[in-house]
Amino acid sequence: MLNSLLNPYYLQIGMFVLINAILGISIYLTLATGQLSLGNAGFMSIGAYSSALLTIKLGLPVYLAIPTGGMASVLIALIIGFPALRLNGLYLAIATLGFGEVVRVIFLNLKITNGALGISGIPSLNVLTGNVLSALGLGDGFGGLSLQQISNCAVLLILFVILVLLLFFTRRLGFSRVGRAFAAIKADETAAQAMGINTTYFKILAFILGAFIAGVAGGLSAHLTFYIGPKDFDYHRTVEIFIFAVFGGSNLVWGPILGALLLTLLPEFLRAASDYRMMIYGAILVAMMAFRPLGLISEETVRFWRTKLGRRSSK
Amino acid sequence: MFWQQLVNGLTLGSTYSLIALGYTLIMGVLNIVNMAHGEIFMFGAFVGLLLVTHLKVNIFVAMLGAALTGAILGIILERVALRPLRRKAVSHLAPLISTIGVSIFLESVALKLFGPQSRDFPSSFTAAFEFGPMRISLVQIFILAVSFSLMLVLRFWLAKTKIGKALRATAENIETANLLGVNTNKIIVLTVSLASALGSVAGVLVGLSFNAVEPTMGITMGLKGLAVLILGGMGNITGAMLGGLILGIAEVFSVAYGNSSYRDAVAFGMIIVILFIRPQGLFGSRDQQGGK
Repeated sequence: MLNSLLNPYYLQIGMFVLINAILGISIYLTLATGQLSLGNAGFMSIGAYSSALLTIKLGLPVYLAIPTGGMASVLIALIIGFPALRLNGLYLAIATLGFGEVVRVIFLNLKITNGALGISGIPSLNVLTGNVLSALGLGDGFGGLSLQQISNCAVLLILFVILVLLLFFTRRLGFSRVGRAFAAIKADETAAQAMGINTTYFKILAFILGAFIAGVAGGLSAHLTFYIGPKDFDYHRTVEIFIFAVFGGSNLVWGPILGALLLTLLPEFLRAASDYRMMIYGAILVAMMAFRPLGLISEETVRFWRTKLGRRSSK
Repeated sequence: MFWQQLVNGLTLGSTYSLIALGYTLIMGVLNIVNMAHGEIFMFGAFVGLLLVTHLKVNIFVAMLGAALTGAILGIILERVALRPLRRKAVSHLAPLISTIGVSIFLESVALKLFGPQSRDFPSSFTAAFEFGPMRISLVQIFILAVSFSLMLVLRFWLAKTKIGKALRATAENIETANLLGVNTNKIIVLTVSLASALGSVAGVLVGLSFNAVEPTMGITMGLKGLAVLILGGMGNITGAMLGGLILGIAEVFSVAYGNSSYRDAVAFGMIIVILFIRPQGLFGSRDQQGGK
């Protein structure tokens, strides 16, 4: 039973769900200040390429390469962040969309990134954890599970821990002075400024945090799939990340996570419909804006269920 | 060489201008960026292509057909994605999101209907003329003539006719226009379908000049149109026309004198720089919004 449940296919889907949930957090953080940045796929690709190249060319261990990839995204985010965040609303969305496109074209043409062919043979997390596990004496599997299954589970666990840490961090951030500042800027930037909040600083901070998490998610996904190419980080990727937040709701951090979970699982359950995935995504975006512009989970939903459940338990 | 590249740049740029005009009209009147414009453009290109190859009609009829398809798509877009949002007080990003939805929907529909491969127009305009050092093909002349005359007609129509004035009034201030007896709902539908029709015609022209029509062309060209929208200043019609020409010339020259593989980065490199120096665009003034 457990053996059939842990087949590579399910495990792979689980990994994608977790990666997408991490990406959901990344877009949530920039949206928390009310800034729509569509550059997440760009930051993701910077993280993915730096991490992949660092491990392949310099032989850096994966656990160092992935955070370094995240830092590379931060560096770029700092450079473009200061001028970009002077723009607001639509201008920022288009400028960041353009940024993603420029990054893609650069990766498509650099020699070191192997152009349109992309980079293959990236050290895989599965194999690495497998090596660690067999060094621990689990080489022949454990409890009826093969080594591959155990290492896949271990990777899944690692991703889950990263997600939980990020979630914890984001939740704590929300209740802190920084989180309050983000919310104030989102509600009314001018008023926030009048209250003495350094809006530029907090907007840049949110932007950088989002870029870091996107970069880390990119690094993780590169080491999960062994292969990355410029096509993995195009306009569609941006839309895909963005739709997690729109569908789930971007007011609470649970929104993008729920969005990532549902929208990654949906095409897998509807195998027949997977050809129509993009069509369904499009229809979802339009329908959400018309009927539930705040997404599935908003503060009101939480309040509604809280009072409803509270009443029931007191009866 | 220089003059030849200039002509090539103008030809390319005039199609960009046509695409950007669609964005600008909608931006001016509704104050939103229509992200589905690129896909309507792509549908226009396909309809034009199918009309020419299957029904063997002449190219003007094909463009008319494309324009009609574009207008119909525009009306549907307005009904489905824009009108429901106008009634409610939603964030100003909502229309952006719902038009992104329409755009990915249309793109995947096109992938299903037409397949991912690139198709080409039957070559009926291969003739070319020599003007001193330049060699201008019939296709180029055709593109220049069509796009410039469309732009001129549009300018005249906006400036002089009653509907054009109503459109500009709506762009200036939708409530006041409404009070003054302009049927703003009709004007909005008209604007969206007009913009989409222009985009579709541009699709046919681009299909002719690159000799390639494929479902993904909407994204690339749509993004270029967005770049022009920013370059010329949002909602500025003259800006869109000139911005398109500037972008076309810049691209062609970057290919001729620089590295051709970075061609697609030129547009966005340019707008990123422009946005940082002059966020209102090359031809926009800070408070300018209207379709003037």
